[in-house]
Amino acid sequence: MIGPSRVAELDMPGAAVETAAGRPAQSYWNESWERLRHNPIGMAAGVLILIFAVIAILAPLFSAVLTHFQPQSIDLAATFRPPGSTHMLGTDELGRDTLTRLIWGGRVTLGIAFLTVGMALTVGTTFGMAAGYYGGWIDDVLMRFVDTVLAIPAIFLFILMSILIHPNAISLAAIIASVGWGNVARLVRGEVLSVKQRDFILATRSIGARDFRMMFRHLLPNVLPVLIVAASLGVGQIILIEAALDFLGLGIQPPTSSWGNMLTNAESYFYHSAWLVYFPGIMIFVTVLASNIFGNAIRDAFDPRLKT
Amino acid sequence: MTQPLLEVNDLHTVFKTKDGVVKAVDGVSFELNPGETLGIVGESGCGKSVTALSIMRLQRPGRIVGGSVVFKGHDLTKNTEEEMREVRGKEIAMIFQDPMTSLNPVYRTGWQVAEPLRLHHGWDAKRSMVSAINMLGRVGIPSAADRARDYPHQFSGGMRQRVMIAMGLTTTPAVLIADEPTTALDVTIQAQILDLLRHVNREFGTATMLITHNLGVVAGMCQRVIVMYAGRIVEAGPTTDVFAHPKHPYTWSLLRSIPRLDAERHEPLKPIEGLPPNLIDLPEGCAFHPRCSFRVERCSRDTPRLQPVGDTQRAACWVTQSGVELKGA
Repeated sequence: MIGPSRVAELDMPGAAVETAAGRPAQSYWNESWERLRHNPIGMAAGVLILIFAVIAILAPLFSAVLTHFQPQSIDLAATFRPPGSTHMLGTDELGRDTLTRLIWGGRVTLGIAFLTVGMALTVGTTFGMAAGYYGGWIDDVLMRFVDTVLAIPAIFLFILMSILIHPNAISLAAIIASVGWGNVARLVRGEVLSVKQRDFILATRSIGARDFRMMFRHLLPNVLPVLIVAASLGVGQIILIEAALDFLGLGIQPPTSSWGNMLTNAESYFYHSAWLVYFPGIMIFVTVLASNIFGNAIRDAFDPRLKT
Repeated sequence: MTQPLLEVNDLHTVFKTKDGVVKAVDGVSFELNPGETLGIVGESGCGKSVTALSIMRLQRPGRIVGGSVVFKGHDLTKNTEEEMREVRGKEIAMIFQDPMTSLNPVYRTGWQVAEPLRLHHGWDAKRSMVSAINMLGRVGIPSAADRARDYPHQFSGGMRQRVMIAMGLTTTPAVLIADEPTTALDVTIQAQILDLLRHVNREFGTATMLITHNLGVVAGMCQRVIVMYAGRIVEAGPTTDVFAHPKHPYTWSLLRSIPRLDAERHEPLKPIEGLPPNLIDLPEGCAFHPRCSFRVERCSRDTPRLQPVGDTQRAACWVTQSGVELKGA
């Protein structure tokens, strides 16, 4: 891979010596970070997600200091208030503060999204790594299992599971991840198959490394870039799936708020209190968009050849 | 006569493919003595590398279907995978053809050079790093302590091959297998790496198996040489004798196909006619006979075995075994 810095070197006699002596180490990760840093839109999307995540983590603080309401405190004297000074983003049919519920809902929605990505990545990487590394019948068995999982219509699985176990945030994440990991497994397997052919894997074997070391010390770091891209793109997809499940009444159950079930709740009041629809809708839209933009930016940073 | 360090007996390694069974190594026998440098030459696909990989039991997806590899009195082909791991990198180390891809791009070189020590001696990061930096210095990497913190892509090809050699030597193995260590390097760097290997052989007493298709490299490095063709050894003997009086037509043709300083001017080089045989469907008899200008009727019928020809050499050829000298236009 020839990055911009490398091209510049070609014109400078003695550049190689300079690299050895003075210049800081330009690892693959450093170079990628440099490219990401110079992508303003991608960085903005990343920062936005970070801000949302921090707000979600600090939700109790915000509801104490900023909004002065609790997400489930009902005030029947103040229903359907439009956005104003006491209730910055208005109230719903039970007089609950929309901003407070959005912040707490973000905690649930983003929490589920990150948890799901974490689970799908862990299981998918393990499967994909084992299948790609060992090959042969192990590969066949594992990948046919993945094919089977991916052949189950996801929406029916979600409905069935939700009816059977009445999900909370953690079990909902597990349900969504139980479908998502299959794609991760395929992705990792493909990468492992290609990295496995490289000479350093044979060289590492020739110094007597065990399988576990080969997989997690030597292959995994080389697969990490695709995993990071998959994770950042996955967050957006999962927020959409979770919102859809909430909307169908199969996800997070009221009175706990999530962006999805706030939207469901609001649909009945759309004609006279449209803000109840707008705010959670905008949050979902913005977060998913940011996640997709950030995911693409990371992909471009890791592999500039893919940039269109 | 000292006990050989490594003894390969009638080794057979095959690859199963859709088109049939490829006999990549077909009854190869040789020994490697302590401290010597043995050259293995032959063209691409003649089984040199697979022989080396089979010694390390790294021939996958190929399978060793016969023969033995006796190292320090143990048959490596009967070792368990776990026992093999103790041999790899500790007793027998290997360096590969392409130094550009033989190092893991995500780790600093010092970490990688130190890895065999952590694996085999159980040393911690600090102790193994001190030893790795020392070794990097000894293979001629300037300011080794600083360079150990660099990533592989910050090294040139020759420097990376030095790093690979350092990595192989940290555990002071008894055998170093160098599989075409200079093929991917340019000529001046080749000479440096060969110097280094010669130096290593003397300083550490490491027996070296040098696999190459470059006859010049063999002439300068090896006491003994083995010539392989189509998965079999066709000639073996002391390098000087083999080069002065080849006893197999293949060796003879190979030597005539390279330019020499002492040759008559304007004398054209003579390439070997024809193509290397298909390893799935070897010709009957001697595998070289379709390309051989000395062939007799028997060559297409019976397969010759490696037999003493002359005082010091062995060759697998009906013609020279019957006492005929190889000469010709």
